Amino acid sequence: MAVAKTQADWELLARRSRRDRRIKQGLLIAFLTLVTIPVVVPFFWIFVISISARTGGVESEVLWRACAILVPTVFAYGAAHTVFRRARQRIYAAVILVLLAVVGLAFSVGDDLHLYNYRFMVNPNLVEELRGAATAGGQFPWVWVAFVNSLFVAATSMALKVTVATLAGYYLSRFAFRGRSQFLQGLLILEVFHPWMLTIPIFLVIFWIGLLNTLAGPILVLTAIDLPFFIFIMKGFFDAVPWDIEMSAMTDGASRRQAFRMVVLPQVRGGIIAIAVLGFIKGWEEYVFVTALRTGNSYWVMSTYLYYVAEDVMGVDYGVVAAVSVIYIIPSLLLYLFCQKFLTQLTLGGVKG
Amino acid sequence: MANVELRNLTKVWDQVTAVDGINLEIRDGEFLAVLGPSGCGKSTTLFMLAGVYLPSGGDILFDGARVNDVEARSRNVGIVFQSYALYPNMNVLQNIMFPLRFQETRDAAAQAREMAELVQVGELLERRPSQLSGGQQQRVALARALVKQPNLLLLDEPLSNLDATLRLTMRAEIRRITRELAVTTILVTHDQLEATTMADRVVCMNVGRIEQTGTAEDLYLRPDTLFVAGFIGSPPINLIRLQASQRAVLDVPDTAETVGIRPELLHSAETGLPVTVTTVEPMGRETLVTADSDLGPLRFLEATSRPKWSAGDKLHVSFRSQDTIVFDGAGQRMSDLHAAIG
Repeated sequence: MAVAKTQADWELLARRSRRDRRIKQGLLIAFLTLVTIPVVVPFFWIFVISISARTGGVESEVLWRACAILVPTVFAYGAAHTVFRRARQRIYAAVILVLLAVVGLAFSVGDDLHLYNYRFMVNPNLVEELRGAATAGGQFPWVWVAFVNSLFVAATSMALKVTVATLAGYYLSRFAFRGRSQFLQGLLILEVFHPWMLTIPIFLVIFWIGLLNTLAGPILVLTAIDLPFFIFIMKGFFDAVPWDIEMSAMTDGASRRQAFRMVVLPQVRGGIIAIAVLGFIKGWEEYVFVTALRTGNSYWVMSTYLYYVAEDVMGVDYGVVAAVSVIYIIPSLLLYLFCQKFLTQLTLGGVKG
Repeated sequence: MANVELRNLTKVWDQVTAVDGINLEIRDGEFLAVLGPSGCGKSTTLFMLAGVYLPSGGDILFDGARVNDVEARSRNVGIVFQSYALYPNMNVLQNIMFPLRFQETRDAAAQAREMAELVQVGELLERRPSQLSGGQQQRVALARALVKQPNLLLLDEPLSNLDATLRLTMRAEIRRITRELAVTTILVTHDQLEATTMADRVVCMNVGRIEQTGTAEDLYLRPDTLFVAGFIGSPPINLIRLQASQRAVLDVPDTAETVGIRPELLHSAETGLPVTVTTVEPMGRETLVTADSDLGPLRFLEATSRPKWSAGDKLHVSFRSQDTIVFDGAGQRMSDLHAAIG
């Protein structure tokens, strides 16, 4: 009797803990979904506007109709995920739900979708078409000019940042020299001052060395701003590479430089990729210094292009603004998606530093 | 394979002298062990030999030529590190082939394979270091150090990361491989068993200086200094500081300060020094007995696994006079002098 009773108790306990686990997991998923909404909705809204807005007006009706289809789909998938245990069942459920959602969207908002807002990508002279040649012709560039300039600024400053931060981080990690600790403290102190506070002195310096109105100005300034932090990160990564490995490579016949390149550098690849991504995105999204370091329309980058589409040239066509935004976001979004793994390692390396 | 000589070699870090003018000659093909407690400067010496550290003074000679200024890469020295220092981004074959990338070698892969066979990791060539056990990593590190046929093989506490049984096999294995290749080898260790079992000759170091150089037997039976006597041997030697009360019991020269006697050379007897047993520790093959006497606490070994005595027993111990070691006030052994029960 006693035995039977204990057995029953075990079963009850097992059932109870299974139930508790389900509830906890369900609550967790619900919570995460809720806090994701404010992050995702603006992006989605921008995207919806860019493919649905007609000249001039902005309406949210398409958004709500799309949400009416998508929100139930997401919840349905959440439910399917909890109910089905096998990966294959879950995949089937996902495919079916996606197909349903596509069909639903085609019926509810399909007629309102168009690509006219993306005409700036093929039409070199957006302004002339709107206002006639007299207004701003020749001043406002084709989007691809700004795109390539942005790419150039981001890539060049990224290359500079990565090169300098890697070499400096290695030196700081491996060599003892007079003033090393003060130098490290100095790097941290620089982080205290927001670079925008220095806009006017930076403007003067760039003006005096003759780089005003050239892309070289913002490239150098952006590099200088990011370097202290990046050097610190790289030092942390190098600190984590054991000395033995380097000594071993040197006794194996490598020169110090070869040991660095062939043995040490591969160990800090994660850190290099992380600062490369961060450095690139900083350059890609830069607005303040690219605006401050030009006095006319000497160069255009994506951020200034977006600003002028929104404010200056032609009044506000929110459809076009949204479309430009979407194009502007895509490169950083892709980078983040592919390099997420390395960006999460960054904290680890940083802590060690 | 080279003849290595150290002349008055010194290394100073800021204010600390890590290596203090050591002189040493290592013959071609010899297996030498450098033994000492941690911080005695043995690893610093090793890294100076490898060329990673620059000496602050003195000379390092390979086959009579001064190599102080020769870079690590050109010295053709192989090192096995305590942590093995395998390159995690390369597989086993690439690791072993790495030193050959800096030489003009036509059949690098074949040489690396041959070396891998010698150290018995021929099956593991495609694996990453993280997928190997400690013993396997150790073998790979050894193969990598040996593949370029080094002038000198340096082993920096190579066995201290292995478990006890593996240590035993690797000890024999390393000895076999170095004999087979007749490579001059220097082993740095703080484990006296490792040093005495593997090496032809042992150098005992303390605070940057060489205390004694000799065979394992020399160091054990005829330690030059008090430090060597105390450092080598387990259970440790009995060291008796001579004060008036001890001098009353022992017949020793007046200049002597300390008398040493190995625990296994003391034995219970019908007559001799009266002692009272305080602790009895069975150690398997033998039993370690600690007893109080007029000379202070004494340790002695009974060659039995069944202890004859227990705490509180009173008995007599004696020893042969020629088994005692006598040290003067400076801690130097006074040769040909011995102590006896007076």
